[in-house]
Amino acid sequence: MIFEQLSGNLLQGVILGGVYGMATMGLSLIFGVLKVVNVGHGAFIMVGAYVALTLFQTFGVAPPLAVPAAMVIGMALGMVFYYSAIRKLLKGPELASLLATFSCGVILEEVCKQLFTSEARGYNWELGKLDLGFTVLPHAKLLAFGGSALIGILLYLWFHKTRAGMAMRCVVESDEGARVCGIDVDWEYALSFSIGIGLTVVSGVLLTMFIPVGINPYMGGSYTLKAFVIAVLGGLASPYGAFFGGLVFGLIENGSYTLFAQIPGLEPFAMTRFFSFAMLLVILLLRPTGLLKAK
Amino acid sequence: MLTVEKLEAGYGPMQVLWGPDIEIKEGSITSLLGPNGAGKSTLLKTVLGSVAATGGKIRFAGRDITALPSHKRVDLGLTLVPEGKHIFKEMTVFDNLMMGAYRQEARIHRKESLELVYSLFPLLAERKNQKSGTLSGGQQQMVTIGRALMTKPKLIMMDEPSQGLAPKIVLEIFETVEKLKKEIGLTILLVEQNAAASLDAADYVYIMHEGVIKAQGSASKIKASDEIREAYLGL
Ligand SMILES: Nc1ncnc2c1ncn2[C@@H]1O[C@H](COP(=O)(O)OP(=O)(O)OP(=O)(O)O)[C@@H](O)[C@H]1O
Ligand SMILES: [Mg+2]
Repeated sequence: MIFEQLSGNLLQGVILGGVYGMATMGLSLIFGVLKVVNVGHGAFIMVGAYVALTLFQTFGVAPPLAVPAAMVIGMALGMVFYYSAIRKLLKGPELASLLATFSCGVILEEVCKQLFTSEARGYNWELGKLDLGFTVLPHAKLLAFGGSALIGILLYLWFHKTRAGMAMRCVVESDEGARVCGIDVDWEYALSFSIGIGLTVVSGVLLTMFIPVGINPYMGGSYTLKAFVIAVLGGLASPYGAFFGGLVFGLIENGSYTLFAQIPGLEPFAMTRFFSFAMLLVILLLRPTGLLKAK
Repeated sequence: MLTVEKLEAGYGPMQVLWGPDIEIKEGSITSLLGPNGAGKSTLLKTVLGSVAATGGKIRFAGRDITALPSHKRVDLGLTLVPEGKHIFKEMTVFDNLMMGAYRQEARIHRKESLELVYSLFPLLAERKNQKSGTLSGGQQQMVTIGRALMTKPKLIMMDEPSQGLAPKIVLEIFETVEKLKKEIGLTILLVEQNAAASLDAADYVYIMHEGVIKAQGSASKIKASDEIREAYLGL
């Protein structure tokens, strides 16, 4: 019984973890290239959730088809915030860019509150379920997982097989090395911020396919925190490391939920959160470069 | 080929360059010497464009490039072998070299450039599929020089290319520098700690101290002047 429940939950964990991982790739990309921690990360996930919700409710667009729109909106937002807020602060102290990304998040939250009110909303997209006996997987969740994995693979191919992607990797490794090759480093910064935000907004769409309810302007906060844990798990600066970090996180979150639920008197949901952050602390103490990084 | 006039630059409020004038003739090796912290690296970075000039002028191949971003300067045929190498350690040797041919003009000639690099450093051809971070220091320096050659430069600036290398490798690096001039006709601006070897390789020498040029002259003239050698070079 507990075993069946656990394996069911772990499977759900892997699937959710894949989406979590995708939702962290943008954070890792931006950190890898610009060395800026996007504290407003969750707010961009929230924007993606509203993109999915609005397109579905107003125009009847199926959530997976909202992905390209979310990418375009996210990349545009990224460019606007990069050139207006981030660019000038890159040479300044770290706190400056932290405050800037935090402010970008707050601005987005308040704009969305004006546009959509702070009431939590949701949508209902029925697509059927896959019944495995020990657990039930809605097709929408499977699709979200598949989409996340696909985006992860595409990002990997872009980074390793295209000239533009390789140029961005050069900037990650060494600004000065990139410059002497004639790579326009300033543009690479703008582009990576823009792609990072685009990916994050897309992940917001995919996350609503998992949890299509509770969409509100302040929903991003818990995702920001989770993304930090996942990014550290995956080795902070590596977008695909983040993907695997997400898988691990999803497994641990769901696995520990099941186990905590067995202990009477514990509130399992609160405990999983506690557990996640205890984990973050331990990893930072033992392996600050990330668990999954080779060396 | 390159003229630097009254160049001023620095980092934030700290000014490092206080108006040095430098002229580099096509097809020559010019050596820039000076003690630690004199501003040699800063000068090279300002000429490349990774540090912004706050005053003065940089002219290259007949154009004022003072306000040009560095990737456009690379297009014109200017590049740098940076201090501390800055290779892409996670990439293979081959990919490092190919990234040198990133710009359109360099890309067109990448086959010939690659042949040239492999003929200068046959070892890089053998190791082309190896991750460059796993190479020895001397081999990594070959990658850096090779990558610079892949940009199809007219002028290569080299910032302490022999730093931290074994004496035998240092010799090889200096031989390569002279080959680049003699066989390919490249113009070279060389910054070195190794003053004796630089004086042997160079045609013309500038001596920099606290952001200004204190002395200059042909290599033979500098070598012959006990005064300059004692005051600035410790030879
Ligand atoms: N990125 C930087 N930020 C702030 N100050 C710097 C930076 N790089 C160099 N400096 C300072 O600028 C001055 C000149 O440094 P530079 O590296 O140009 O000297 P150098 O002649 O190349 O010395 P070395 O022989 O040690 O390489 C030094 O006082 C150094 O501390
Ligand atoms: Mg230096």
